[in-house]
Amino acid sequence: MTDPPTYTDTGDDTYERFDRGSTTGMPRWVKVSATIVGVLALLVVVPMLFSGGAHGPGRHSLGGDTPSASLAEGQVLPEGGRG
Amino acid sequence: MIMPPRLRKFALAAHVTSSVGWIGAVAGYIALDVAAATSRDAQTLRAAYLAMGLIAWYVIVPLALASLLTGLVMSLGTKWGLFRHYWVLISLLLTIVATAVLLVETQTIGYFANIAADPTTSGDDLRSLGSTLVHSVGGTVVLIVILVLNVYKPRGMTRYGWRKQQEQRRALQRSKQDEQRTVSQP
Repeated sequence: MTDPPTYTDTGDDTYERFDRGSTTGMPRWVKVSATIVGVLALLVVVPMLFSGGAHGPGRHSLGGDTPSASLAEGQVLPEGGRG
Repeated sequence: MIMPPRLRKFALAAHVTSSVGWIGAVAGYIALDVAAATSRDAQTLRAAYLAMGLIAWYVIVPLALASLLTGLVMSLGTKWGLFRHYWVLISLLLTIVATAVLLVETQTIGYFANIAADPTTSGDDLRSLGSTLVHSVGGTVVLIVILVLNVYKPRGMTRYGWRKQQEQRRALQRSKQDEQRTVSQP
């Protein structure tokens, strides 16, 4: 069995460690990372869909789901929600 | 355009400073965010939300934009390119996502800071605000992933990068052949 090609790290952070003779195939680390990210995204998106897409105020709050009703009028929560 | 060595070093220093500074600033922000999530003391909460607003707007956002900009300069100004290597492409995408989420999140942080700045806001109101801990911790994980990618530079060229490399090799071979022909001719 042959060893995989290794890089010579020049330590100067230039472009000396270029891929030599690499093919167009997607490397395994990219595939594995994409799978992990996909699974994590599903874990986040699916519960959001089931909860009516709520990603707004108080979603991650330790203090409850909605801010106090006594907050001053005009202090409108932003659309982006908080987390 | 490939940068000359001195300019490249300067751009690299700027990129490392802004990127590592971004992580450091978020670490400081998380300390305040934890206080906002756990404290029941009105004074602590008020101070935390105000400081979170200041750090987000005046430290984290400028560092994030600087990191994105210097990253673009570094990739376009060196042979790494922007779309040639998977690690560069993924770093770029993650940085864009992190910056976009940050800019949206600043609206929430600004809202918290505005409420905290209002002296009439009661302790109960402050306690009901909550925190941005999920986003700030999640953002830190993303930034560390980008940092690791940039340090280790895992191998792997995109189709575009591979095609460009082949073109460069062919051009180099042609110029060598032309050179040899010129030398061999009397």
